[in-house]
Amino acid sequence: MRSPSDASRPFLWRLRHILPYYRQNWGAFLLGFLLLVATSATAALIPYLMKLATETLSDPAGGEALTIHVSTLILVALLNALLRIRSRTHIFAIGRQVEYALRNAYHAKLLSLDAAFFNREKTGDLVSRGNNDILAVRMFIGPGFLQVANTVMVYAVTLPVMITLNASLTLLALLPFPIILGVTRLLTTRLYRLSRVVANRFGAFSAFVQEGVAGIAVIRAHAREEDWHHRFARETQEIYTAQMRHTRLQSLFGPMVVLAGGVGGWILLLVGGQEVMAGRLTVGDFVAFTGYLVILVWPTVGFGWILTVLQRGLAALERIGQVLDTEPFSLLPPAEPPPAAPNQTATPQPGHHPTHRAEITPLARPCPTIAIRHLHFAHTEPVLHDIHLEIPAGSFVGLAGRIGSGKSTLLNCLARLYPVAPGTILLDGQDLLSLPETTLRHTVAMAQQESFLFSATIRDNLILGQPEASEAQAWEAARLAAFADEIARFPNRMDTLVGERGITLSGGQRQRLALARALLMNPAVLLLDDIFSSVDARTEAIILDNIHTLAQARQRTILMVCHRTAALHRAECIYLLEKGKIVANGTHATLMASAPLYQGLHQQMARHEALESLQ
Amino acid sequence: MMPPVLAETEETRDGNFFNAEPYRLLWRFFRHARPYRAWVILALLLLPVSTLLQLWQPLLIQQAVDRHLLPAQPDGFSGLLALFLLLIIGQFVVGYGQTVLNTLLGQRVVRDMRRELFAHLLAMDAAFFARNSSGRLTNRISNDTEAVSQMVSAGMINLVGDLLLLLGIAVGMVMLSPRLSLITLLAMPVIVLGTLFITRKMRTVQREGRLLQARMAGHLTEEVEGRETVRLFHCQANNRATFDRMNRAYLNTALESNFYEALQFSFIDTTSTVVVALLFWYGGAMRDGSDLSIGVIVAFIDYIRRLFFPIREISGKFTTMQSAITALERIFALLDTPSAIADTGAAIPPPQPIRGEIAFQQVWFSYGDTPVLQEIDLHIQPGERVAVVGPTGAGKSSLIKLLNRTYEPQRGCIRIDGLPLEQFPLARLRRAVGMVQQETFLFAGSIADNISLGDPAITPERVRQAAQETGAMAFIEALPQGLHTPLMERGVNLSAGQRQLLGITRVLAFSPRILIMDEATSSVDTLSERLIQEALEQLLERRTAVIIAHRLSTILHADRILVLSAGRIVEAGRHEVLLQQNGLYARLYALQFQTG
Repeated sequence: MRSPSDASRPFLWRLRHILPYYRQNWGAFLLGFLLLVATSATAALIPYLMKLATETLSDPAGGEALTIHVSTLILVALLNALLRIRSRTHIFAIGRQVEYALRNAYHAKLLSLDAAFFNREKTGDLVSRGNNDILAVRMFIGPGFLQVANTVMVYAVTLPVMITLNASLTLLALLPFPIILGVTRLLTTRLYRLSRVVANRFGAFSAFVQEGVAGIAVIRAHAREEDWHHRFARETQEIYTAQMRHTRLQSLFGPMVVLAGGVGGWILLLVGGQEVMAGRLTVGDFVAFTGYLVILVWPTVGFGWILTVLQRGLAALERIGQVLDTEPFSLLPPAEPPPAAPNQTATPQPGHHPTHRAEITPLARPCPTIAIRHLHFAHTEPVLHDIHLEIPAGSFVGLAGRIGSGKSTLLNCLARLYPVAPGTILLDGQDLLSLPETTLRHTVAMAQQESFLFSATIRDNLILGQPEASEAQAWEAARLAAFADEIARFPNRMDTLVGERGITLSGGQRQRLALARALLMNPAVLLLDDIFSSVDARTEAIILDNIHTLAQARQRTILMVCHRTAALHRAECIYLLEKGKIVANGTHATLMASAPLYQGLHQQMARHEALESLQ
Repeated sequence: MMPPVLAETEETRDGNFFNAEPYRLLWRFFRHARPYRAWVILALLLLPVSTLLQLWQPLLIQQAVDRHLLPAQPDGFSGLLALFLLLIIGQFVVGYGQTVLNTLLGQRVVRDMRRELFAHLLAMDAAFFARNSSGRLTNRISNDTEAVSQMVSAGMINLVGDLLLLLGIAVGMVMLSPRLSLITLLAMPVIVLGTLFITRKMRTVQREGRLLQARMAGHLTEEVEGRETVRLFHCQANNRATFDRMNRAYLNTALESNFYEALQFSFIDTTSTVVVALLFWYGGAMRDGSDLSIGVIVAFIDYIRRLFFPIREISGKFTTMQSAITALERIFALLDTPSAIADTGAAIPPPQPIRGEIAFQQVWFSYGDTPVLQEIDLHIQPGERVAVVGPTGAGKSSLIKLLNRTYEPQRGCIRIDGLPLEQFPLARLRRAVGMVQQETFLFAGSIADNISLGDPAITPERVRQAAQETGAMAFIEALPQGLHTPLMERGVNLSAGQRQLLGITRVLAFSPRILIMDEATSSVDTLSERLIQEALEQLLERRTAVIIAHRLSTILHADRILVLSAGRIVEAGRHEVLLQQNGLYARLYALQFQTG
């Protein structure tokens, strides 16, 4: 994932996506730091007060002083608690705020990117970046800062006090601490690697189970259960082995910390004990030392741990950066008013457009003519070749052709889902690429063959593009798509949940909901991509009637891709595509008479339909 | 508009301990852990050892202070130091051993449980898999079992250990000074209630946070998958607002949980300091003529610091147990689902070898409430080739799937060589009845593995021979590693025609006496079409075959054609005869097979 050149870039460059947050929050970081100083200072007082109390307790004459020490101890402890809570919440809050802002920025970026980007990336990976990697960055900013600052402060405050009490004892008692630091650092990096191994094993295991379940019919049909038992046993054994390798190391962690603290305490007892017996140290000093040792253990462990967290945070930042640095395909600046020379920063990006309703700039006429000039388009292989079309305003145009002839691609280009060369698609003479996103989406609507439904209610899916549509408008759109009666029969009507990808609806219902959604946009140009493939012929006829009525009444341009040539009967003109080129055009009747390819498509379809209706 | 993805579902619910059900599940689970009894006993025996090792240390410090440090008495101090060091090292060793042992136990029990679950799945019938999504079943085997392993590794045994530790601390304190223990006892309700309150709060908030995180992930997933729709309907602004709402709600839960986290951290520290201060104060007050020494106070400070850890742990462990118990509930529910197809035939060995005669007698089959096949009477001679045709939904595929007991008829009897199907051991039946499906399912693995399916009886030579007979070898040899070329998931690196060829080769390698086949409808290029035809001829030779026919050549070569309509055989006979009847077959033939 990481290119070698990135590692050699300057550190600040690697932080570029979060530096602004540091700049914005420098005051908050400073306050957090000061709070930490105060926390450490009060924390360091506590063992000292215990020392005083112990000494007073051993002194038979110190009754008064003891009460003072005890009450001071309680007060300082409470103050320390307040400061600690305040400093931790304050610093963690900065991390959380940055996490929030970064996640929103990441989300907005994803919304603005186009097909080319998504074809490269895996969904799961993009989601994981939005979740886990942003989490890792938060750890970098919040706990990362806290641990580093805290460790430094605790040492800065505690060490001088200890050294003042007894320098050589301090050095000896702290002897195990560099070992804690080193071991923690070593363990966390190793453990991180091993836990990735476990996670990968686990992923492979899940994939194995999923494949087994999916292919169970084959396993059963060939009576290969025995073999799968063995393979499964092997997989579970491997998880076990990986897990145990991780455990053997991880289990060291806690006991090791306790051991190091214990050894420190033991050295204290060994050396400090001699000193006390020799009268060079009081029992109170001994108690204080024990207290300081306890204070130092966890920040030391935390420091070793945080180095790994910082490392992971940097890696995560890079993965997020890869998305944040991607630019969507450029659009031209709007044609009205005439733009200055194109300039990188002035180029509007989809998704960055102002989205207020007031700013929709309507086209010159309510229903535009569409002109396609020498349109070529390729994914990796050429799909469309020199398409040249003039579609008058308000006409009903059909597109026919075999699977893979480029019909859907053409519609996707018209909907600006795919990048085309400037000047190849014009709406009323205006370049498609220069239209503001808002204008375009309210002018051109498309119902796709495999439209995506969100796991929400029917209503939410229906009013997707027109959130402020009235209930009556929603029902009207559903009626036009011949779906209203069925919705009315659902127990929860418009509030029926459709499940993930609309799983609870039938294929035909999904297509009609997607059509209703496009109709509700009330667009001047309606692109219909094979929307009848799962709809029965009778319903199809009803929908076609409705669309025609609309087209005639409200001056609408309709482009329809359809495999059922019957649906194209009424089209004013049908363009026949073959291997990305327009090879013929005409009405249904003329094409039936003149184009063998069209005839073939028609007969194939007619036969298929007859077969389906046979009983 | 966005969805309540991963809201409260059966997967996120937590169990409760207020009825008998959890205990019944736990008891059943304990029986699963039986093979590891010895390990469990060892883990339990280590608990008092580790408690003793920990709690002895403060006592030693007390002795050191009172007997050596204060009176400046070095005699015996080195012995004490040695014992102290031993305790520290012992604690390290035992602590390490305990964690490893607990994890080992959890992982082993779960490994066994996974195997049991998978074995159970392999024995389940086709209808079961139609009802349960593969994602759900995978979840049972991978994630639910993981929750159970957590319970064993981090939950049950350590829970006992924590309670033991608390008890030990109490005993140690009383031994040192009953009066000071009283003070600590008075502080106990504050400590316990405070810790419980904070951990409870924290858990609720964190749970809410996790739920919101899952929702955001769900939202992102849908948005990425439905990106074209988002763009076409220009709902970016709306989606940003929705996402921002979730993100902000998550921020709020996060800030709240931060607070409780910091509170928990400070609460423990501060309360212990306050208790220590009170000890000093009380110690000062009762100093005259009492048993209280500095060493006792020092030891008490140590004990109090150790007191909080188990209290905090215990409440966390209950959460682990709760989610494990709901997981157990789902796991056992799956294990308790019986297979509709029982392997009953092991007892009576069928005659050798199978000739391939098939008889249906008054067979009725319905899927749920929907009748699929009715009154099927059919007799097929060994070596006969039967083509089945009919409109969509006539019951063709159910008819052939009854033959290898993928489904079982509700009424009537199916016999092979005169023996009812149930009297064959399942494995033997399925080796005798080979099935070629419309879509060949390919596993991740090499081509050879996909042909032999890991059966040692199918040697590499047999694989090679089968591939040669079907002609699949031609394309296999063109691949970089030949038969050992790894296939990607579901064989996406092969063409549709190549996948079909492999499916045919696979069945040929298994060499079944009877063949059932659902011919592929998916169109392939003419060359592949011819290759597949030739492969099929190889496969069908000298075998009894029942084929759902989609190709003209198949019906023309059939000995008999069965026309199925609405679950009944309405016409039967040879092609010419049926055409002359001018019934359903004649119409079907005109529509489906007459090209032109």
